[in-house]
Amino acid sequence: MLLRALMTTAADAAPLAGAPPPNDEATPVFVARGLCKTYGSGEATIHALRDLDLDILPGEFVVLLGPSGSGKSTLLNILGGLDAPTSGRAAWRDHELTGADEAALTAYRRDHVGFVFQFYNLIPSLTARENVELVAEIARDPMQPEEALALVGLSHRLDHFPGQLSGGEQQRVAVARAIVKRPDALLCDEPTGALDVETGKLVLSAIARANREVGATTVVITHNAAIAGMADRVLRMGGGRIVAIEPNARRLAPEELVW
Amino acid sequence: MVSVLDRKVLRDVWALRGQVVTIALLIGAGVAVLVMSVSSFLSLRGAQQAFYAESRFAEVFAEVKRAPRTLLARLAEIPGVAVVEGRVGGEARVDWLGAEVPVAGRVLSLPASGEQSPLNRLRLLAGRLPEPTRHDEAVIHAAFAEAWQLRPGDEIAVILNGRRERFRIAGIAHSPEFVFTSRPGNPLPDDRGFVVLWANEEAVARAFDMQGAFGEAVLTLAPGASEPAAIAELDRLLLPWGGRGAYGRRDQPSHRFLEDELAEQRTLAVTVPLIFFGIAAFLLNVVLGRIVEAQREQVAALKALGYPSLPIAAHYAKFVAVICLLGSALGIAAGAWMGAGMLGNYRPFFRFPEMPYLLPAWLPLVAVTTSFAVALLGVLAALRRILRLPAAEGLRPPRPAAFGGRALSGLGRRLPAGAKIPLRGLLGRPLRTLLTVLGIALAVPMVVLGLFWWDAMDSMVELQFDRIERGDAFVALTDPRPSRAVREMARLPGVLAAEGQRIVPVRLRAAQRSRLLALTGLPEGAELRVPRNADLRPVPIPHDGLALSRRLAERLGVREGDTVQVEVLEGARRVHDLPVAALVEDIIGFSALMEIGALNRLMREDDLVSHVALRVDPMAAEVLWQHLAERPRVAATNVKAVWLRVFDEVIAGLVLTSAMTLTGFGVIIAVGVVYNSARVALQERGWEMASLRVLGFTRQEVSRILLAELAVAVLVAVPLGLVLAQWIVELVLGARDNESFDVPAAISTATFTTAALVVLGAALASAVAVRRRIDQLDLVAALKARD
Repeated sequence: MLLRALMTTAADAAPLAGAPPPNDEATPVFVARGLCKTYGSGEATIHALRDLDLDILPGEFVVLLGPSGSGKSTLLNILGGLDAPTSGRAAWRDHELTGADEAALTAYRRDHVGFVFQFYNLIPSLTARENVELVAEIARDPMQPEEALALVGLSHRLDHFPGQLSGGEQQRVAVARAIVKRPDALLCDEPTGALDVETGKLVLSAIARANREVGATTVVITHNAAIAGMADRVLRMGGGRIVAIEPNARRLAPEELVW
Repeated sequence: MVSVLDRKVLRDVWALRGQVVTIALLIGAGVAVLVMSVSSFLSLRGAQQAFYAESRFAEVFAEVKRAPRTLLARLAEIPGVAVVEGRVGGEARVDWLGAEVPVAGRVLSLPASGEQSPLNRLRLLAGRLPEPTRHDEAVIHAAFAEAWQLRPGDEIAVILNGRRERFRIAGIAHSPEFVFTSRPGNPLPDDRGFVVLWANEEAVARAFDMQGAFGEAVLTLAPGASEPAAIAELDRLLLPWGGRGAYGRRDQPSHRFLEDELAEQRTLAVTVPLIFFGIAAFLLNVVLGRIVEAQREQVAALKALGYPSLPIAAHYAKFVAVICLLGSALGIAAGAWMGAGMLGNYRPFFRFPEMPYLLPAWLPLVAVTTSFAVALLGVLAALRRILRLPAAEGLRPPRPAAFGGRALSGLGRRLPAGAKIPLRGLLGRPLRTLLTVLGIALAVPMVVLGLFWWDAMDSMVELQFDRIERGDAFVALTDPRPSRAVREMARLPGVLAAEGQRIVPVRLRAAQRSRLLALTGLPEGAELRVPRNADLRPVPIPHDGLALSRRLAERLGVREGDTVQVEVLEGARRVHDLPVAALVEDIIGFSALMEIGALNRLMREDDLVSHVALRVDPMAAEVLWQHLAERPRVAATNVKAVWLRVFDEVIAGLVLTSAMTLTGFGVIIAVGVVYNSARVALQERGWEMASLRVLGFTRQEVSRILLAELAVAVLVAVPLGLVLAQWIVELVLGARDNESFDVPAAISTATFTTAALVVLGAALASAVAVRRRIDQLDLVAALKARD
């Protein structure tokens, strides 16, 4: 009990001010205005983001597409509360992400965001179920870990350690871990980057299903154009800006994707 | 030209500076102990050899009641004898108003020629030898002169053979016979309470009615001569004149005490650094092994780029070498400093004219080589693992570390997932956990080894002076007296109880082993001297046989019930075979006991006593000491309270130094292991921990997950360390070879508690240092590939 209490108290995780507004279809959940992010100084200055504006609607499935260096990871990091812009503002509903302190950002990630990493980042000493449980333990209203793993089609691999799972399976555990807290936003950074086509499709369908059934606003970044077909909107990035916005009339199922 | 890999060495050293410093300190501690103990041993040995050679220290010593000087020519003809000197010596009591108790002393004659003695020559620090014609001049020993700030020209009043004589101090000197001086029966120096004087032969001979005679003969032997043969012949020649048994240097009190200390120092010079290097090798194995392990991807990449294995291995050897050189430099400097300090601690014990600190050039070389070998041994296993790794490993995407097995997945099923991470970390890699726990545990014995001497001193004093020697003062009579002397003394003001003892010099023999010592006769039911067995229960004083110190019996190779030969070195020098009736515990020196009546019958003498133990009313003590000082038959009075004060003064400094040094080493070990384990854990799992932070875990939660593993290791290690401490203390004490003191391995709760707290504190401080790094984890990096 003591350990449980130790692991679940979040002393430095204070919630951001303000209650979430009613889920109005028309109100964007992510809002970014005039976002700039620069690294370095003088001649060596790199402009990762240049005066970027963005609105993402609730439950929307957005794919950020672009070559490396286009600024898509920087944008995702700012939306995920991992990085701060040099200027401009970013907000999640009425939570200002710019200027929030470390504790507030931790609480934001904890309560609202699910992350999927390119290299899965599972804890090797925990089984699939336990990796999911780990996040469920610190969430406000989590689903059962088994339920999350069923959503990604891994009910039969609950008690396997990451070392005993294939790359695709590990990434699906990571998706289950991201959605077990019923996140408002699901942020995926190159989720298929380390996977082959068929395995990648399995992971993408898990993400799509989570988006559909949990209702999480989903942002996937990739440099793989083939994935664009499954999005509501595709934001093409280049040189730190959004260079094109391409809505899809019909979202393709992951199985239909070709790359 | 500096190669790229060499630049990498320097950068790695800088990047891992926290770890480099803690490991270098660890090596430095081992080197320091080695340098300190070996150099102080060599310095002490060097001072001894130089002084013995310069002063022509005798090799054989004999006492005789009164032998004509003409016999000396016969002694010189004994085969193997090189030089013989005959002299007169006797007990001296000094009327010294400043002293709280009467000062005991010895007076020895100098040649009538007024020149230096052929043997045991004095080294004058000030003044000169007495003029050959002056009988009222004396040289006094430097220890007493220093303690009372006496100078040539000062006067000193001495009672010799019951007569009061005044001497003018002509000179102040060191003597090889009195490098270590103490009052007879006291194992520690009491410079204020013991004096040696040298005066012209005529003056001393007259005082002791020894004109034309000698009472002591000292000899040196020709190279290759047999000492036992010379002693046997000497004994044969001196027997008719009341010879008391000749003995070699081995039994000369000052030499024996010095040799005891040297032997102890030699043991410590080997055992303690061995323990230390053992711990260091082991920790280096753990810590350096993990640092190298953490670079496995880099090694694989180097191999993939076409680097052969050898330069890669050399690269890591250089990394280790930098740490070793740093540690050795620190260790040599600290060791030299501590060695010189240690030598300084010896000064009150051992009076040499010069005791220079010696640090031979080979010692730092040996220290560096040893540390390098130890460190290399530490990384060898890790290096071999890495070099066997296929190069492709480094190019593959990261794979989760292998965990598996039903046993592990069942572990702590009901615990929260966050608690399972440290639990599995501990149990999933049992060998590593074991090594970490052992490493931390080994810090505890170091601290205990430092602190425990206080306990040892306490229990020594308690056992020897509260339980065995229960009197407040011990009076030596000038010669054996009828037992009514005890009753007379009991009537002196301030004496609460008095018990007579008869002490005679004997030589004990068992098979090939022999031993000179004092045989003490005690009255039955004695209360002021209570012999005790190993369980500390009083042992009845045997009537038919001897009670021997357990340690003495071990040396002689006898057990209870065995027979030993007792040669009485006084009077008719009869030889008896007596059974060992009981074994007793003694802390200080060796004793052989029997019932006083039985001893007197053995001597074929009446009811005689030579010493009296007193219980004294503390309020009347000072008056009593004065009273005793005036009694002509009293040769010396030893007062327990003074002895205890000297003990505290002399020992406290020694103990404090070693306690602080070893506690410091304990801290170095604890910090070395905990800090490095935490840093390596962070290196290996920083990526995992950053991922958790991204998933919404707070800094505190992440720190707990990472450090919980170490916390559990520390909590297991400390009790284990306490057990190890008891064991190591016993090991070190067992390796001691010291006849003067028996140190009991009694460790107090306070010592154990302090040691545990010191290690816990060091672990906590290390954890705090690492915790700050956890707070600085790069979260964005977790989203990308691990490097």
